[in-house]
Amino acid sequence: MKKVAYINNRPFAIEEGETILQFVRRYHGKNAVPTLCDAPNLDPFGSCRVCSVDVALEQGGKTKTQASCHTPVQEGSYIYPESQNIQKLRKNIIELVLTDHPLDCLTCEVNGNCELQDVAARVGIRDVRYPDGENHLDRKKDLSHPYMTSDLSKCINCYRCVRACDEVQGQFVLSMAGRGFDSKIIKGMDETFFESDCVSCGACAQACPTSAISDIFQSKAVKATEKTRTVCTYCGVGCNLEVSTANGEILSIQAPYDAEVNEGHTCLKGRYAFGFYNHEDRIKTPLIKRNGKFEPATWDEAYDLIVSKFKSILETDGPDAIAGISSARCTNEENYLMQKFIRAVVGTNNIDGCARVCHSPTALGMQRTFGTGAATNSIEDLKHTNCILVIGANPTSGHPVTGARLKQFAMKDGNISIVIDPRRTELAKYATYHIPLRPGTNVAVMNMMLYYIISEGYVAEEFVKNRTEGYEEFEKQVLATDINGMAKIAGVDKNLVREAALAYARAERAMSFHGLGVTEHSQGTFAVIQIADLAMITGNIGRKGVGVNPLRGQNNVQGMADMGVQPHQGAGYLDVTNPDVNGLYNNFYGRKVPSHIGYKIPEMFDAAIEGKLKALWIMAEDVVQTDPNTHKVRKAMDSLELLVVQELFMSPTAEMADVILPGASFLEKSGTFTNGERRVQRVNQVVAPLPGTKPDGQIVVDVMNRMGYPQPDYDPAVVLDEISQIVPFFKGIKWAELGKNGKQWPVKEDGTDTKILHGEEFKRGKGRFVFNEFAETTEIVDHGREFPFILTTNRELEHYNCGTMTRRTNNVKILTEDTVMVNPADAALKGVKDGDSICLISPRGKVDLKARLTDEVRQGVLSTTFHFPEIMVNELTGDVHDSEAKCPEYKVVAIDFRKSKGLVGRKVGEMVEVN
Amino acid sequence: MSKNLSELSGRKGLKYNLFDELGKLAIEDGTPNKDALAKAADEFLIGKANTYGTASFYDFMRPENKGKKAYVCNGSACLCAGTQDGVRTELEKHYKADEIGDMCCLGRCHENGAFHIDGKNYSAKTAAEIAQIATNGKQNGVQGNQDKYAIECYGTQVLTAPFPGVDAYYELLLSMIERGQDACLEDIKKSNIRGRGGAGFPMWIKLDGCRKQDADQKFIVCNADEGDPGAYTDRYLLEEQPHSVLFGMMMAGFITGADYGAVYIRAEYPEAIEITENAIKDLYAKGWLGENIKGTGFNYNFKVIKAQGAYICGEETALLNSIEGQRPEVRVRPPYPVVNGLFNKPTIVNNVETLAAVHYILEKGGDNYASIGGGKSTGTKLLSLDSHFNKPGMYEVDMGTPLKEVVYNIAGGFKKPVKAVHIGGPLGGLVPTHKIEDLTIDFESFAQEGFLLGHASMLCVPEEFPMVKYLEHLFEFTSHESCGKCFPCRLGAKRGSEMFHKAQNEDYKIDRELLNDLIHTMETGSLCALGGGVPLPIRNGLMYFEDELKEYLS
Repeated sequence: MKKVAYINNRPFAIEEGETILQFVRRYHGKNAVPTLCDAPNLDPFGSCRVCSVDVALEQGGKTKTQASCHTPVQEGSYIYPESQNIQKLRKNIIELVLTDHPLDCLTCEVNGNCELQDVAARVGIRDVRYPDGENHLDRKKDLSHPYMTSDLSKCINCYRCVRACDEVQGQFVLSMAGRGFDSKIIKGMDETFFESDCVSCGACAQACPTSAISDIFQSKAVKATEKTRTVCTYCGVGCNLEVSTANGEILSIQAPYDAEVNEGHTCLKGRYAFGFYNHEDRIKTPLIKRNGKFEPATWDEAYDLIVSKFKSILETDGPDAIAGISSARCTNEENYLMQKFIRAVVGTNNIDGCARVCHSPTALGMQRTFGTGAATNSIEDLKHTNCILVIGANPTSGHPVTGARLKQFAMKDGNISIVIDPRRTELAKYATYHIPLRPGTNVAVMNMMLYYIISEGYVAEEFVKNRTEGYEEFEKQVLATDINGMAKIAGVDKNLVREAALAYARAERAMSFHGLGVTEHSQGTFAVIQIADLAMITGNIGRKGVGVNPLRGQNNVQGMADMGVQPHQGAGYLDVTNPDVNGLYNNFYGRKVPSHIGYKIPEMFDAAIEGKLKALWIMAEDVVQTDPNTHKVRKAMDSLELLVVQELFMSPTAEMADVILPGASFLEKSGTFTNGERRVQRVNQVVAPLPGTKPDGQIVVDVMNRMGYPQPDYDPAVVLDEISQIVPFFKGIKWAELGKNGKQWPVKEDGTDTKILHGEEFKRGKGRFVFNEFAETTEIVDHGREFPFILTTNRELEHYNCGTMTRRTNNVKILTEDTVMVNPADAALKGVKDGDSICLISPRGKVDLKARLTDEVRQGVLSTTFHFPEIMVNELTGDVHDSEAKCPEYKVVAIDFRKSKGLVGRKVGEMVEVN
Repeated sequence: MSKNLSELSGRKGLKYNLFDELGKLAIEDGTPNKDALAKAADEFLIGKANTYGTASFYDFMRPENKGKKAYVCNGSACLCAGTQDGVRTELEKHYKADEIGDMCCLGRCHENGAFHIDGKNYSAKTAAEIAQIATNGKQNGVQGNQDKYAIECYGTQVLTAPFPGVDAYYELLLSMIERGQDACLEDIKKSNIRGRGGAGFPMWIKLDGCRKQDADQKFIVCNADEGDPGAYTDRYLLEEQPHSVLFGMMMAGFITGADYGAVYIRAEYPEAIEITENAIKDLYAKGWLGENIKGTGFNYNFKVIKAQGAYICGEETALLNSIEGQRPEVRVRPPYPVVNGLFNKPTIVNNVETLAAVHYILEKGGDNYASIGGGKSTGTKLLSLDSHFNKPGMYEVDMGTPLKEVVYNIAGGFKKPVKAVHIGGPLGGLVPTHKIEDLTIDFESFAQEGFLLGHASMLCVPEEFPMVKYLEHLFEFTSHESCGKCFPCRLGAKRGSEMFHKAQNEDYKIDRELLNDLIHTMETGSLCALGGGVPLPIRNGLMYFEDELKEYLS
């Protein structure tokens, strides 16, 4: 028998633990009970009391008025949501609210979309009977911030903004000050938004039921004629966005509450940094470089030039003289087409993508260990885990929505959080254990962790026995680790490492997350393997709340790799050298596809300089600015006969191109992005491409056809259908069936998707243990003596990568420059003060930057961002790569530094010639 | 209420307590400076808005308190006694006007003329006395303090019994530990003691609920934020019988598995804080606190938390938020504190007087205690009587004692004509003198007659004191003390006080229907007993003093 309670004397089944509000709304809809302080993503708060209902223990019995939002529904109770008593109460509460609220609805920005207005209308307010009294209508507007606004004369003290800032973002920027009638919302210590520590996530603006807190886009106004659901283009979290438009122009963006990925939250990039899409800098016509200058051209002219050049190179130098770099910013369908063009139309495996410079070691390391190079679990598993291990990642800046969830997790007592990072990141401040290792020593520290787990008897023996191979040898090698030696090398307290290792091992469910602080090292792949080893050795695989979860950097870096954008694996990660696979591809594409591995990106640069690579087609990627050792990259670009660049904006790479093709932004096209948890989600076109531009997929299709390969016009549904026939784990993915929240691959033919990988067995059968010893990077071995400091790189929340997009939005008003973090002790040594310009010197070059003194970095380590490319931090970075996946070692640069001299007439951050 | 803030504050817990630290930051200037608040925020990993928001809530930390040197009591008893204008006038001769602030009830209701200087409370009758205290107090602290009131017992001596000395008194702890938790809880259950803070909730249910929680840490919190103007029972117990309270807390800890007790005492009672702290020091010195007390394996520690001036902290969930250094706004229930209390850990919150009875109950047995009084109201009750009685003071009576016996015999009747006795604090019932003979001192009798026993303070409204002014005072008090969280109380109390003020000072008559609607809204809609409680005396006033009030009503 289901337990029941009664609504207006009719019985309805109740659910365990639900509130009266949830219960009544479940049966009678959202409007069954009016509310003001309640919000879908916030805990019950009980301030407005508008949700009150009458409750009796027997039919028609004596009633008690209870706030439905925070009162659990009792079995057998009789609920009267609209009794006369309740109607009167609600009306009288709203009347009180209106004694301190401006009655200027018609001119208010949220007129027509105001919860107070709705509730007031609903309860039937005619007039306010109270005599004029004290009020707060003279409060000033705060328009200080590039995005956030407030007009607290409209505030009804529901605390939704305060709670959103706390419960969703975890930032504590907002609170209430004063008490009683005089209490008011404050930012920081009663400052403006701009002066406060606000991270501009906009959760408060979205939460506010009136226009007391809003944003410059007036995102709650009803001006929009259309709303389109799509997926954010920034990081790999894959937030769903609801974009409001009118007359083909974007007005504002909000985060849908029913999005599984972001549950009504997003960050300032997703919500506010969309202004780049119609920025005046957009390239609006194909450009052909003639006599060193770009001249506007028609699409036909541009295509003709590209096709004739490709054809002549093919004739004289063969297909391997041509290469393509695809883009993690573009859709799966576009990536698929790009690799198809390179493989089937050009006839080479010279296709690679930016994953090379970020998570290629993740893909490789996890493939070697598990058989699949993707996150084993889902972000929602955070609701089920007991322990998080975050290595080399700063998610509160790099992956803000996941970062906020991790921070929420870390704040709760009883949860274990372990952060392994040279910097005291935001998350590290809240962590149970923070291991501040020297950059480049992940492998040393993780071998120590493995050592303690094994030597102290915390190995999940059943799991290891049944599910893995190679353990015995592995164990022997781990136990031979020189613990004291490793602790010294990494500069860590071995007891801290021990405690953290045992805490991870003891947790019933432990999840790991890692970022580029793991991969962008000479031992990047080995470190990924160790993370996988840690999971296997503790049995943290194949269940809810466990697993290995790389925080993928770009919106579609997962999808790009899935689509075959790498030189050794085609669409669906099939080995191009395998004759069966080759046959399959030949057959499917209807062309002869090569079976030898092509160039990885760094190899492309080498080949270009050596004269072996003649033509390069880059889709939406700025290698000159973002790849290491800028000089070498430029030299490579200079050596090419043909450089084609598809771009939104003129970039340093585009400037070196022979032909520039104007692509379209994510807001102007459709397709799918695959986020870091393998979730394939629909990107829906919000507005038409700017006149003169084309979706990148269409550009590829145009060239394919002109090269003689018949490919229908770009239509994601059609391309996805093609993909589903060749990529095994996309088998059941249909454009029309992806719904609002997409599907997580592998998707079976019947359409069922997969939240957790490796449940019964690993993709490769048994999980494979392989031991790798710590080896110092040659960067330090060769240059450490002369350049005794280590420069590492990090991200800031406000900017994305080299800032191509974010710097064309108001984000640039929030964070205006790159700085370098220096430990105060190191700074004292060099006589550097906070805000001084310092010169960083590496074996490759020099760069001037403004110093920010902070103990977030340990002594001997400096850290900088690279969002402002004019600084050209990559002048400093070297040529060391991960030994396995060839990912560049951005995270360890041997440097020295000094206070800058002779800055007169030179701007901070200006490029300095290398002597 | 923020779960996160509870957790983050809980990381440092009671030992290095956020609220305590914020209080210290305010000592020098009367309000913490912003740099110090920012530093505290960093240290506790919370927002600057949080430390600032908290500080701005309390009378003795908010920016407006900066530079205050003397405080005049503005509690109801002193108001009705009409002594405070004189006190202020006299103090202004010694302090600048903006150096003088208000404090709401120093618990000198038995003699009035109360004020506070340099961390000490005084009550003075004459200008000369005030002048002497102001001069001496400024120079060397003390002197001139009166604070004399009768302390008598007219039934079973439970709470007013003489203290036999620490070792003799705490012997019982050892035998009770030997008896075990179940037996102790059983006695509390049998005693049927109900919470003395006003709500009358059975003590054993809380203890039992908390005991059943599986948690690594539990807390016992003593609610000594006796904010009700007119009440000084808790002050009496902490100043004169501190060990009865501490012992009760230790036993509650033993029964529930809590090893930490926090005594939250209002700043308006500086002497109570000092005396309690000294009593705890004494216990440590004699080996009755700490780890493995007297070899029993039982651990217990105390922390005295000095409040900072906010009536709402007497509400238990606001009190918990307060200790955590959050804004003391009322939490929603469930979860109840016994499940999710201080720092989100299972917590018992009991009133001083409830805890003080535990020694007697365990020593004499639950049945013995239950035999005092009767029905659902067992045991004895302390009554604090204000200066309008011929014998003001603290009286312990058995539950069930007729009110007229208290008023006319024990306290010797009124000094001057009185029209109503406000019993049980500002949220208690306003009892017109003719109803005195219908009431007995117990929860049921008061509830039946449409009043509330509450904490059983008795405060007289003199015949000449206008009822309209008294009701305005009640609304104003509520408005001043409202935490501001729930709409009915935050807005309703303000509008109520404005209406009553206007009616006395302008050509305005209160719309009776509107007033009824307001009372209904606050009573049925408020989140806690402050907004929900003040309608009771307002209603009593309207009902029993209609003749006097009707000229202000339409």
